[in-house]
Amino acid sequence: MEYILSLLPTMLGGTVVTLKLFAFTLVMALPIGVVFAIARLSSLRFLNYFMQFYIWVFRGTPLLLQLLFIYYGLGIVGIKIDRFTAAVLSFVLNYSAYLAEIYRAGIQSIDRGQSEAADVLGLTRFQTMTRIILPQMFKRVLPPISNEVINLIKDTALVYAIGMSELLRVAKTASVRDFSFIPFFTAALFYLLMIGLVQQFFKWLEAKYDYYR
Amino acid sequence: MYILQALDIHKSFKKTEVLKGITLQLAKGEVLAIIGPSGSGKSTLLRCLNRLETIDSGVIEIDGEIMVRNDPKGRAVYSSEKDIARIRRKMGMVFQNFNLFPHKSVLENLMLAPMLVQRLDAVQAKERALVLLEKVGLSDKVNNYPFELSGGQQQRVAIARALAMNPDIMCFDEPTSALDPELTGEVLNVMKDLAADKMTMIVVTHEIGFAREVADRVIFMDDGLIVEQGTAEDVLLNPQHERTKTFLSTVLMAR
Repeated sequence: MEYILSLLPTMLGGTVVTLKLFAFTLVMALPIGVVFAIARLSSLRFLNYFMQFYIWVFRGTPLLLQLLFIYYGLGIVGIKIDRFTAAVLSFVLNYSAYLAEIYRAGIQSIDRGQSEAADVLGLTRFQTMTRIILPQMFKRVLPPISNEVINLIKDTALVYAIGMSELLRVAKTASVRDFSFIPFFTAALFYLLMIGLVQQFFKWLEAKYDYYR
Repeated sequence: MYILQALDIHKSFKKTEVLKGITLQLAKGEVLAIIGPSGSGKSTLLRCLNRLETIDSGVIEIDGEIMVRNDPKGRAVYSSEKDIARIRRKMGMVFQNFNLFPHKSVLENLMLAPMLVQRLDAVQAKERALVLLEKVGLSDKVNNYPFELSGGQQQRVAIARALAMNPDIMCFDEPTSALDPELTGEVLNVMKDLAADKMTMIVVTHEIGFAREVADRVIFMDDGLIVEQGTAEDVLLNPQHERTKTFLSTVLMAR
C-alpha cells in the first residue's frame, strides 16, 4: 500500500499529461468532425472527394504512424513542433476522420421529411442544419461517440513513442526500476477510473436526451 | 385572377416520366382536391408546386410572381433563390407523415419558423402559436412533445405549424393517409374549418367524401396526366371517363 502511495505523485503527473491530451483532442475533434461530416456530404464535388480522401488516409494508416510522422518526420524536413502540439495535432486529425464518419451516418439517418418540413417553412439550409438536423443527430450518435471517447483515453498511451511521460510510460518506468508489476496494476486502475467517469457522463447525456423520441 | 398557375409541367425521375404535361389554375379562396391512384403523379405534382421537386419544363406562377419558366429550348429555369424563397413563403405544406420536429415541443414547433424566418420576437410568436393551437383544438398540448400525441393530434399540430407562417395557399399531401381510420375525422374537420375561412387549398387525398363535401373543384389524375376535372359533383358523382369511373368504384368499394 505504501508502495502504491509512493507511486502516486508520478502517476498523477502522467495522468495529467494523458488528460490534457484527451481534453485538447476532444475540444477540437468533436466540432471539427461535424464540419468534416457536412463537407463529406456536400454537393460540391471537390469538397466531397477531398473529405473521402482525407478520411481514407487518416483511417487507413496507424495513428502511431501519423504521430511519428508529424513529430519526427516533419522534424527531418525542418518543421519543428513541440511534443505536445505534435501529439494534439495528430490525434485531432485522426479522430476528426472517425468522428466525421459517425456524424455523417447520424445526419443521414435523420428522416428526409425533417429537412423538407424545415425547407417549406422557409428555413435556410444553415438553419435547418443547426436547428433541426444536428440536434437530432447528436442524440443518435451518442453511443458510437462514447466508444470513440473511450478509445481516445487509451490511445493517448501512444505518445510514449515521442517521449512524452503519460500514464502508461510512467508506470513502465517505475515497473522496470522497482522490478514490480504493481505500477501497471495502478495504471490500469487509473484508466478504469477515467473511463468509468466517461461512461457515467454519457449515461447522463443519454438520459438528458431522453425527453423526446 | 389566379393565385396559382401551372402550365404544361413535365417531370421525370431518371427515365420515368411522372408528370406528362400538367396545366392547372387555382383561384383565391378555392379548394382544389386532387385524386387518383397511387403512382398517378399527384403527390409529385404538389411537391413540384412548392419546389420540393424541381420540374424539367413548364411554368409555375404564384400570386403573380414567376417561380419557374422555360428557356427558349423549353427547359425549366428557376428564378433566383431569393425570389423563390419569398414566393414559397406564400405556401404552407402539410405532409402525409406530419414531419413535426421531434426534439421540439408543440409550442416550439409552431414558434420556430416565425422567429427564424419572419423575425418575430418570442412573445409575438408565442401569441400567434397559442391562437392557432386553440383553433386546431390542442390548447392543452402546448408543452407536450410530438411523440406524446396521437397521429391525428400530430397532424393538427402540423397544420397549425404551417398556418403560423400566414400562407396564402395551403398544400396537403395525403394528410390522413398515415392515420388510423378513427383519427381522420379530427384532421378533416380542421381542414373543413380552414375551407370555411376561405383559405386557398390544394388537397391531394384519397378521402372522396371529404372532396365531395369541401372541394370546389376536383382533378382526377392518372399516369401523369389530368384525366378529368370539374366541380366535385361533376367529377365524383357523374364522371365522364372510364378511368375515373373505375377508380371511384374501386375506392368507394373499399370503404
